[in-house]
Amino acid sequence: MESFSEYFHTPLDPARWAALAGVPVALIALYFLKLKRRPERVPSTLLWRRSMEDLHVNSLFQRLRRNLLLFLQLLIIFLAMFALAGPRSKGFFNERQKYVIVIDNSASMSATDAGKTRLELAKAEARKVVDGMNASDLAMIISFNDRAKVEASYTSNKSVLRGAIERVAASEGSTSPREALEVAAGLANPSRQFEEGTVATAEVPPKLVMLTDGGFDDVEGFSLGNLQASIVVVGKPPRATRKAEADNPPPVEGKPLPNPSDNVAIAALQTRRDDEKTDRFQIFGRIHNYREESASIEAKLYKHDSAKPTSPGSLLDAIALEIAAQADQSFKFDLPGSGAAEFEVRIDVKDAQPLDNRAFAVVSEPRRSKVLIVSSGDRYLIDTLKTPVTLQEADFTVVKPEEYDKSPVDRQVAGGEFDWIIYENFRPKQAPEADALYFGAFPPGAVYDNPKSLEHPVILDWDTTHPLMQFIRDLSTVFIQKAKGIEPPPGTTPLIGSNLGTLAFVVPRSGYRDVVVSFPLVEGTEFNTNWPLKISFPLFLYNCLNVLGDPTTNASDRVHVPGRPVILRVGSLVDRIEVTAPDGSRSTVKRSTQGTFIYNQADRSGIYYVNRGENDREAFAVNLFDPRESDIATRGLVPEGVPAAEAERYRIKIGYNPVEGKRIGTTRERSEWWPWLAAGALAIVMLEWYIYNKKVYI
Amino acid sequence: MAVAEAPLLDPEFLAKLERLEIVSRKIFLGRMKGERKSKRRGSSVEFADHRNYVAGDDIRHIDWNVYGRLDKLFIKLFLEEEDLHFHLLVDSSLSMDFGSPTKLRYAKQVAAALAFVGLVCHDRVVVESFSTALGKPTPSVRGRSQMRRVIDHLESIEADGGSDLTAAAKEFAIKHPQKGVVVVVSDFLDKRGYESALRYLLARDLDIYAIQVLSREEVEPELTGDLRLVDCEDDDVAEITMSAPLLERYKRTLDGFTGGLKDWCSKRGITYIFTTNQNPFDRLVLNYLRERGLVR
Repeated sequence: MESFSEYFHTPLDPARWAALAGVPVALIALYFLKLKRRPERVPSTLLWRRSMEDLHVNSLFQRLRRNLLLFLQLLIIFLAMFALAGPRSKGFFNERQKYVIVIDNSASMSATDAGKTRLELAKAEARKVVDGMNASDLAMIISFNDRAKVEASYTSNKSVLRGAIERVAASEGSTSPREALEVAAGLANPSRQFEEGTVATAEVPPKLVMLTDGGFDDVEGFSLGNLQASIVVVGKPPRATRKAEADNPPPVEGKPLPNPSDNVAIAALQTRRDDEKTDRFQIFGRIHNYREESASIEAKLYKHDSAKPTSPGSLLDAIALEIAAQADQSFKFDLPGSGAAEFEVRIDVKDAQPLDNRAFAVVSEPRRSKVLIVSSGDRYLIDTLKTPVTLQEADFTVVKPEEYDKSPVDRQVAGGEFDWIIYENFRPKQAPEADALYFGAFPPGAVYDNPKSLEHPVILDWDTTHPLMQFIRDLSTVFIQKAKGIEPPPGTTPLIGSNLGTLAFVVPRSGYRDVVVSFPLVEGTEFNTNWPLKISFPLFLYNCLNVLGDPTTNASDRVHVPGRPVILRVGSLVDRIEVTAPDGSRSTVKRSTQGTFIYNQADRSGIYYVNRGENDREAFAVNLFDPRESDIATRGLVPEGVPAAEAERYRIKIGYNPVEGKRIGTTRERSEWWPWLAAGALAIVMLEWYIYNKKVYI
Repeated sequence: MAVAEAPLLDPEFLAKLERLEIVSRKIFLGRMKGERKSKRRGSSVEFADHRNYVAGDDIRHIDWNVYGRLDKLFIKLFLEEEDLHFHLLVDSSLSMDFGSPTKLRYAKQVAAALAFVGLVCHDRVVVESFSTALGKPTPSVRGRSQMRRVIDHLESIEADGGSDLTAAAKEFAIKHPQKGVVVVVSDFLDKRGYESALRYLLARDLDIYAIQVLSREEVEPELTGDLRLVDCEDDDVAEITMSAPLLERYKRTLDGFTGGLKDWCSKRGITYIFTTNQNPFDRLVLNYLRERGLVR
């Protein structure tokens, strides 16, 4: 292959060569098949037959041998094929140009503001880039939403590339080009081998062509290296800036002018228990109007039937809403009935982005939560938890630390039977299959292994915006004798801060949350802190019960985003569950080693039904709810009329380098002349053949 | 080929016939009606030769004077004076409908000219056409005044059907037991062969003249390319790719065919004349036929 490419530089791929090789074969076949034999009436065939009698013996080859014309035609064709093979002398060798074509297939690319969907336009643009490639050029195709996927690795086979472009499917994911850029930049790295025999060298810097609508934040802290980036912005370009706006730049430095787009989106949807009638639920939602003018729309509430996952649902309620330009509008539906049900809100509006005109919510059956308390008998903790209100919502089990590792508690913990486990001055050997709250102890794990002792820390601030810290006001009056301090691991949300460091924090752990309070409540029989005596202590525990131990905060109530894995927790001891997607397709999910079920196929928004066995159903909703995807205004193009000094703010920045966006359609197809010349040569041969055989005289 | 042709009786043709009449008068100057001498030996008053008596000969013809002198039996042979039956057989098969002028028209012209000569010489002239079988003949006519009938009959002959020389010759031989002259004007391109046909005629003790008419296209084909040749008579198909060697081979085959016919005829006393439709018929009749002895 290597020696071949030194001497030949063919613009054709093997499939076309195969087709071309058929031309001489077809030409000979035409002679053999006598397709063009002209009938001629003669007085008698007597003499002709006699003349041919001895010619018949080897007539096929006789016919070929005598046919000078055929040989001339074959000669022309072989010469043309040789010319197409691109022979050249060794030593003069153009470096291959490499392209990295990155196609955005996030939810906003489904917008139809420019006629077709943006993804189709982007794919058409990508095909133009591929068509414009030289035969020896290499290209790769990467699609991305919040994750990147290499659709085709470096190849010069255009049909493979076109197929890969065709395979890029619209998704409902959010947009994050970082991963795609990292892949591209990694491939621009010199002397890396991509496929057998193809080594990319850095002599010609690869060209990055990104086809996107710019619906992402600037990529910071990233270096393009020697990638030559160009961004083609797909979608409706921003309108020209009016004179008045150009003269008065927007007040926020460095931010572009708001750019209206033709979209009305459901931005949020949530179910809540009615405050007055606690057995009833309400659905709250928020609709955002991205248009330049106000929109009057109708929001409709549909109820879905779990027996018919693919049906559109039955209409329950509707309200008319008037939403001002570029503004939010909230709405509320009171739900009838109290049982578990699945709902959809649709807004009747014709806009360019249909994906966010639907939102889904699930009301699940209330269930008592199960709480395990591992304590050597702290009366304050246990009694504060067991109030009449909490006992209505949860069952409490108290075990001594020495009983924790023994049957049946260890099995129950490992099987995920508890929703919430409280460890007081006890550090389990393994993380439990539940949310956990630690008092004076740390979760298992190396990062917590060597805490330092803190004496008399003074609480300075606490995060009252966190759901766990709601209504907590009096922590400034809490005194602490001793505490343990560690450097909180990454991903931690601090809850209580002191002069000596963080005293309480929340850290996520594979679908669960650990809440760590790093000071013990009691030391032996002595108080270590006066917190249990303060009003904030029962409030904190109650918040914990609602947030951590709340069984309703299982799959159904969490916000799930398309394209992300959904972690399902199932109390019962089944090994596999079945999930029905909104399109009716079913898939079976096995229990993971952590005891949870991880469903990876929630790629579309809608209601997913989980079948956990006999009459044990659950549902969860997957919603887009991404302002970046709903705001379908394109970014990266400088509107006409913007002064050069102001243009910078409109550009997409990749690693501090603003990249000028190109409008769609500006990618010029490089025109190749040789196919027309080759076709002309072929046509002349055919014409000559016709003229000769038909005796056409001019 | 079947274009509207000028009638046989066009002024030019008639003028040619007139010239022919003068010439034939010259030829036959001083001869009496019905005075045509046949090559055949027969019974008449004009002595021709002697020959040995063989058993079965008519003893009335024994020359007793010679017997008296030589004591051997000789038969006196006389030149036969005949009331000559002059038959013109014109091939009207479809294969004759080719060329410019068509071979059929050329054959008709030749037949008309010969008939004219025959009528002028007061022979009994019968014109018949044949394709797969013998067509309707003219009545046996004599005298110049009947020329019109002959020409009318010739005009009415249309090319039709395949050629079956043998069947036509057999039918002719059965219908016409008497002696005479028969002129066959045909292309002789019969896939079944011409031999048996001519044998039927030979068996009748006739003076046979075979005039083979071929068109220029048959002698010098101008075909090129890949062709599917369709026989106009039996739709037989021959697929050929024209090339110089094939053309050469064709000409050789044609020479072989005509030469074979000529040899076959010469061996059996049949006068064979080859012509193409490019050869003016009057010249054929006057020069060529005279050379061959058909007219004197």
